[in-house]
Amino acid sequence: MSAEDSGVVKIALVSCGSEYAGVQPEFDEAAAKVNAKFVFPEIDVASIDTIGKEFGLEVASGDLRLMMARAKAVVEGTTNVDGVFITTCFRCAEGAIVRNEVRRYIHRHSNIPVISYSFTESTTAGTLLTRLEALTTIVRRRHLLTREIQKGITAGIDSGSTTTKAVVMKDNKIIGKGWVPTTKVLESAEEAYSQALKEAGISREEVQALGTTGYGRFLIGNHFKAQLIQEEITVNSKGAVYLADRQKGPATVIDIGGMDNKAISVEDGIPGMFTMGGICAGASGRFFEMISKRLGVDITELGALAVKGMHENVSMNSYCIVFGIQSLVNSLARGATPEDVAAAACYSVVEQIYEQQLQEVDVKEPLILVGGSSLIEGVPKALGKLLKIDVLVPENSHLIGAVGAALLASGYVEE
Amino acid sequence: MAKVFIYPINSLILSDLVERFGHKPLTMMSQIREKVTNISLDSPPINITSEDPKMGLKYAAIEVPAGVRGRMSLIGPLIEQTEAAIIVENPPTNFGCVGCNRTNELMKYLIRSKNVPILEVKYPESDEEARDFVNKIAEFLKSLPKEESEEGKEAHEEKSAEEEDKK
Amino acid sequence: MTETKKEEITKYIVISSDKVLPADAAMKIYESEFPVTVKETCFGLIVTGPKEEVDAVVEDIRQMDKNHIFVKDRGFPAGDERRCRASRGGGPRPGFHFLREEVEMLPAIGAALDELEADECLKTKSKEKCRLKVSELEKIIESELSR
Repeated sequence: MSAEDSGVVKIALVSCGSEYAGVQPEFDEAAAKVNAKFVFPEIDVASIDTIGKEFGLEVASGDLRLMMARAKAVVEGTTNVDGVFITTCFRCAEGAIVRNEVRRYIHRHSNIPVISYSFTESTTAGTLLTRLEALTTIVRRRHLLTREIQKGITAGIDSGSTTTKAVVMKDNKIIGKGWVPTTKVLESAEEAYSQALKEAGISREEVQALGTTGYGRFLIGNHFKAQLIQEEITVNSKGAVYLADRQKGPATVIDIGGMDNKAISVEDGIPGMFTMGGICAGASGRFFEMISKRLGVDITELGALAVKGMHENVSMNSYCIVFGIQSLVNSLARGATPEDVAAAACYSVVEQIYEQQLQEVDVKEPLILVGGSSLIEGVPKALGKLLKIDVLVPENSHLIGAVGAALLASGYVEE
Repeated sequence: MAKVFIYPINSLILSDLVERFGHKPLTMMSQIREKVTNISLDSPPINITSEDPKMGLKYAAIEVPAGVRGRMSLIGPLIEQTEAAIIVENPPTNFGCVGCNRTNELMKYLIRSKNVPILEVKYPESDEEARDFVNKIAEFLKSLPKEESEEGKEAHEEKSAEEEDKK
Repeated sequence: MTETKKEEITKYIVISSDKVLPADAAMKIYESEFPVTVKETCFGLIVTGPKEEVDAVVEDIRQMDKNHIFVKDRGFPAGDERRCRASRGGGPRPGFHFLREEVEMLPAIGAALDELEADECLKTKSKEKCRLKVSELEKIIESELSR
């Protein structure tokens, strides 16, 4: 960690009883790893009786009213914090309603970054780590995230779960790209990076700064002695608004990756609210891979196929990848066309993102769709149809992480 | 001496009154003490680990949130020991161990489904009501058997059955 | 982390008395021979120590003004850092809010106990309010509308 990272980030824990669910130590462990500390905002106990009415949301549980009061303390500055972590029990309706409304309330009344999460007793520190890392990055590296132009010669490597991407950039232009399937993390990174360098006609020594992101970011970051090792939420938001040329004002970034998906609400290129999916790989690139394989087409052809089909003709629910494939097999057996199946697959993934992720962030236009799956034409089409807004897919949308990392790494060039 | 379940289970007033009239209050505090003074565990702040919500499965199914089951793993054993209960309606805002209303609903239900004498009173809002509150509780506690013998227990159960009949 | 032996207990003594101040009660404990730890708080005292000693101390204190001194168990030992505001990052422990609410009711409870003791128990049974039956409500509506 560099000098700018020093200093503990204070995160307000707004929760209805994580202490009683056995997950508090996991929360604390994840926070400690990113040098953050949870604080419990001070409240006026008398306000608890009136907070429901004031908020307009009357609930029976005292701890949920306490959450509203704590959110108010944060917004009004009674308690000074750098970020807020709002969390309630998974499967609790009352908790979910309060969690969402408290999140919206903080977002509406302050610029404090917020993450919300619903936990079970099996939630581990690892699950929370990327989210908390992003939250602390937004706090600590705000100045780095305000960078809008790439300078010098920099490179970015995005070590994803399914593919590894690399770019080399020079004077605000992409001059080399690499894209390989992830097998062994380091070897794949070497290969992608070499491809990008070769295309750029640049040697490793000439690269002034390197940034890494994605699942394998720590491993490859240490291996290549990267200047910047950063989680994918901040990097991808930055990369998305940069590639889409929407660096100022609000934007919503949806990233459908190989294993999971993310929805990020962005303001001036800095994430405000975000959520990561991952209950099942059904709403990810992995699902499209399996569909393509079953249809006997290359994944690059799936999109064109989907655009020609009608999703309404096939019922498919990809909430679970196994059931998703099952409904595909059933549909084909009943004589559905591959076009309709491909369209249904795209619609199903998008529907799941809508149901799971977009409830957790407020969608503001432009909606920027990125990640490998954004290249499957059926996906932006289905998303636009579902949300009734134009979906922006920037050029090189699959390289988002690598571009974001190269852009942010150029912050280290001038030093 | 009867083991008296109190709701709210962390109430100072109720636990004091129960003890004052010669009975044993079943409180959350004693459960927490058992947890936090167990030095083989280290899961701050109250040493509830992911195992506790699993123990709570005895009282609530898997689709019930972890926070409810975690709380029930502490409260359930108290309900099992309960010989009498005082339930206060509309208590002032509750937090922490009693901050989840789903848990509170469940624990009150489990107590009411036990065949034990129960007093249900309203939380006082004036001096007048406080007097009534204390009187009712005192009367109830005095009616409970002082001795903890098997005979006493049986006699007490009969008595409560009689009371039920009168109602 | 505070290590506590199994038999150690902690009691919260809340003083709502005109005659006894928390400081008086604390002084009484300091003067006694009991090997207990005492912590003064805004409501009274927290006493930690071996069960027998704590029980004896608490009984002594209670007798100073028995209807106006209230006692409850506490899970955490006095000053336990897991529950301490300073180390826990501000904001009181969850039970604190409820305790504060209950403390406000103590003068009335104390007065009621005094009366009970003096056997002046006035049983004022106010008529309990309950929901109207639909048929009753219907009658009222009809009579109101017909006016």
